[in-house]
Amino acid sequence: MRKLSLLICSLMLLSLAACGNKTDEIPPLPNGNNGGGGDTPPPTTASITGKISFEGDVPKPIKIQTAADPNCMKELFTEDTKVKDGGLANVFIYVSSGSAVDGKTFAPPSTPVEIDQHDCHYVPHAIIVQVGQTLNIRNSDMTLHNIHAQTVENSALNTGQAVPMVTPHVFEKKEILLPVKCDVHKWMSAFFAVVDNPYATVSAEGGTYELKLPAGKFEIIAIHEKYGKQTTMVEVKDGDKTPINFKFKASDTKSGN
Amino acid sequence: MSRSVRVADALHEEGENIGLHRFALFTACCTAFLIFVGGLVTSTQSGLSVPDWPTTYGWNMFAFPFSKWVGGIFYEHSHRLVASFVGFLTVILAFWTWLAEKRQWVRWLAVAALGAVMAQGILGGLTVILLLPTSVSMAHACLAQTFFCIVISLTMFTSPQWKNGLPVARSSVDANRSIKLPTLCAMTTGAIYIQLLLGAWMRHTDSGLAIPDFPLAFGRIIPPFTSSHIAIHFAHRVGALLVSVMIIWTFIRVRSAYRDHRLLRKPATIMFVLLCIQLLLGASTVWSSKAVLIATAHVAIGALVLGTSVFLTLRAYGMVPNPKRVAAWR
Repeated sequence: MRKLSLLICSLMLLSLAACGNKTDEIPPLPNGNNGGGGDTPPPTTASITGKISFEGDVPKPIKIQTAADPNCMKELFTEDTKVKDGGLANVFIYVSSGSAVDGKTFAPPSTPVEIDQHDCHYVPHAIIVQVGQTLNIRNSDMTLHNIHAQTVENSALNTGQAVPMVTPHVFEKKEILLPVKCDVHKWMSAFFAVVDNPYATVSAEGGTYELKLPAGKFEIIAIHEKYGKQTTMVEVKDGDKTPINFKFKASDTKSGN
Repeated sequence: MSRSVRVADALHEEGENIGLHRFALFTACCTAFLIFVGGLVTSTQSGLSVPDWPTTYGWNMFAFPFSKWVGGIFYEHSHRLVASFVGFLTVILAFWTWLAEKRQWVRWLAVAALGAVMAQGILGGLTVILLLPTSVSMAHACLAQTFFCIVISLTMFTSPQWKNGLPVARSSVDANRSIKLPTLCAMTTGAIYIQLLLGAWMRHTDSGLAIPDFPLAFGRIIPPFTSSHIAIHFAHRVGALLVSVMIIWTFIRVRSAYRDHRLLRKPATIMFVLLCIQLLLGASTVWSSKAVLIATAHVAIGALVLGTSVFLTLRAYGMVPNPKRVAAWR
């Protein structure tokens, strides 16, 4: 028995010494991606503008049960269908091909974009980031989050964040409609559009958008996390402000990118 | 050595061994609980809520503040701690067995348990680091069941009942069958184990609701195999049918051939009752759209069915004379 007691004590000491120690270091907030070359994007001298309208019954936002974490006190609702004045928000509108983008690799912008985990939901819900551009992932909450992007094309992203901190991340490949979730708080959901050119935007509240373009002929895609995608062709000249509206229906089913 | 000293030594040894048996039993119970907690992690999809390993959000996992056990972290971190505890118990069990046990093969079985628990810990870490790849997650789930079987075997082999010799169970009914009870029990155990592999495959490929209705499949007996998820799900249902046949066959054989042998009758009856509960839980998992507690109970009861079958198989091999002995007896 004495041998056994000695063994148990040794094992307890070993287990206490195991693993790591919590570090409270917060990485410095990067100003942007400094590296990498690439083509300089042609200046945007034209634009397309319009509204993403929504047809059909608008699903009522569902109140989210956040009781799993007492730190999440704010009343939250689902954000997968955000309609105001008949317009659908959080639709990515981007150039998928065109005279000004085909065969080119654009240098990433030096300005980072940011997604914030605030009040246990993502702000913004839909975010565009260019390949090579720095994405700052911020945790503003007094609770733990893990940001988990369910990548297919890009390398894995599943980072834990203790409060409060910012983690920079860079995507290396194009990947539109990339789902993002927090495994700690199941209700947290966002979508990234990792684009390979700078000509992309997200529809605002009310479904309005403006996409600035250089002169040329383009294929434009509008894609939503729940209602699928639509494609159109457009040709713009310098100074043009071409109206293009998209219509998503409640009955539309989601398709890939 | 005087007679009194020899008696004292014998009593001491017996005490140690009973202690070892009870400790093995306690480890087996903790392992069953660990499988339930592991099932909770999958059912609540919390496997990646702690994205680092072996640390927890940078903390030593044993020092992670309780106030931060929120949301999915609660399930994942609890699983890690219970797993660590079972690992700790297994280390003690292995060393204790090595020191106290005279039978070499039992000592090595305890070492195998230690190896399995260590491999299981590493697989658990890999599931996190590699973001739950199906192959690793399945291996983690299957090794859990294997480890459980090893610990149950150790519990059986260290029991005074086993060491003193189980009573011999003779049956002319069984002797006349081409498949004797021990073989039948072993086949049933194998079938259950394969069924648990299929279950793990289904869970880790998210195919649990690929067929949304039960007992029919898309309103038919054979569903249209339009995706691999449907095929995996249907394979699990077919597996359930085969396992049910095997368990009922075993149960009937024990009831008919070994009616007077409580040591066989009892585990066979328990296994049959667990099968009924398990089938109900399986159906309820579909009907409730994978309600967390129901889906988790389905995992845990599945492990208990396997454990009971292993237990019965060992007893059958221990009690039922082999064919040569039966021939001699006849």
